[in-house]
Amino acid sequence: MLELNNVSKTYKNGVNALYDVNLKIEQGEFVYIIGPTGSGKSTLIKLLDGEEVPTKGVVDVLGINVGKLRHSKVPKYRRNIGVVFQDFRLLERKTVFENIAFALEVLNEPNKVIRKRVRQVMNLVGLDDKGNAFPAELSGGQQQRVAIARAIANRPKILIADEPTGNLDPLMSDEIMSLLEKINREEGTTILMVTHDTVLVNKHRKRTLVLEAGHLVADMTEGGYFSHG
Amino acid sequence: MGKFFRRIGRYFREGFWGVIRHGAMALSSASAVTITLTLISIFLMFFFNVGQFTNNLESTVLMQARVDYECDKACEAAILSELEKLEGVTNIRYSSQEEELEFFISEYDADNDFGYREIYAGQSPMHAAYYMEVASGTDLQALAVKIEQIEHVYDAYYGGEGVVKMVDALDSVRYGGVILVASLSALAIFLISNTIKLTIYARNKEIAIMRAVGASNGDIRFPYVIEGILIGLLGSLLPVAFSVFGYIYLYTWLGGVLLTDMLPMIPPHPFVLYLSGGLVIAGMSVGLLGSFFSVSKYLRWKR
Repeated sequence: MLELNNVSKTYKNGVNALYDVNLKIEQGEFVYIIGPTGSGKSTLIKLLDGEEVPTKGVVDVLGINVGKLRHSKVPKYRRNIGVVFQDFRLLERKTVFENIAFALEVLNEPNKVIRKRVRQVMNLVGLDDKGNAFPAELSGGQQQRVAIARAIANRPKILIADEPTGNLDPLMSDEIMSLLEKINREEGTTILMVTHDTVLVNKHRKRTLVLEAGHLVADMTEGGYFSHG
Repeated sequence: MGKFFRRIGRYFREGFWGVIRHGAMALSSASAVTITLTLISIFLMFFFNVGQFTNNLESTVLMQARVDYECDKACEAAILSELEKLEGVTNIRYSSQEEELEFFISEYDADNDFGYREIYAGQSPMHAAYYMEVASGTDLQALAVKIEQIEHVYDAYYGGEGVVKMVDALDSVRYGGVILVASLSALAIFLISNTIKLTIYARNKEIAIMRAVGASNGDIRFPYVIEGILIGLLGSLLPVAFSVFGYIYLYTWLGGVLLTDMLPMIPPHPFVLYLSGGLVIAGMSVGLLGSFFSVSKYLRWKR
């Protein structure tokens, strides 16, 4: 369902971000992408959600050649992908409920459907009673759950989590991990999680892709960062 | 159809809440609109009234051709046909000797008219006359000379150079006004689009989030555009109130004229309505254009 063939990316300013990456991920997988800063993780995500176009090669997601998408078709494509960021990116002036509903409103669903689905995902992430709270009134972990709820509200096939635990302490990180695993299990969502939290990667073992200086240097189906050495 | 209206409804709701949620920014943009629209309103009032004065003065440039005493009906008809041939002369009106006397007497108070009516009953000492309106820009002196050359015309007379000079002066005031209003409007659009650009720049995080959840350009743009229109509308409220009440107050205070009866002001009734309508439309379209351009500019940056 997700395939990268000989993908390279060079930015306009001459920076080489990715070299000849080949990758295949199946529906329902949970994959870590790890690597140091500047190894090309962010570029990989931007290629997947259509924000950047590959310089060479083909990015194929759900049978769509993402790099060849017309500008006007990108928003519709992006509805197949939920994205969670390290800094949560919630709309501060909207309540938790409205933040989550927002993702469904762009799909132009009837209000009844929206309300039902929002309650459902709020229950899934364990925030049933926080609907009327504003993001600033929540803890970091809770805010990240709202962001996750928003990302999965429109039932995307793929959930990309960019350092979702980067701003959280280990306990909260564990909670977020369990939540992502639950979504992977219950909703069947393919999850790509970018992280450099090796403790987490070793604790919850899953397929792990290692990026270094733009090269895909390891693809460990067994998981665990230090297990290959 | 239902889907379409649901979408439109959401855009309006988002736009409406946008104004409230970003109240401070909306207020600062709206006050930019308010200030410029108030200035424009003042200049428009001034401009249209000056236009009114000019028209009024122009139409009062009357030429009078007095007829010799011995000129009979046939002779008068000959003069009329000569006058009709002249260029720039319209609305020729005949006034008989008796009518001229009546007009002369009417200049006096009824109880202080020296008894002229009795003295001159049946034998008016006045010349019969033709009055005619002269198109603006006509050389009055040359015209008067031409008219005096017509046979049996006693003399030709007009209001004098002062009126002509006044009309010229008001004309240049009017042209200056047009330039002023035009540059003021340009300034307003620049100011407003700049303010809205700032508010949108401040919200690029919001736009980035909208993008991340798959909002199309229209989904992002429309609420902002509606927000811009609402801000423009909000900003035009005070100038409208100012124009309506201010103009009516000014009109009654000045008694409907500026300095003299020769310069009557435009009556407020339909005028302030047109003026307010114009201001509201100007405010809304400036808000629409400002927000449309600034969002579009931001949208083009990102895929």
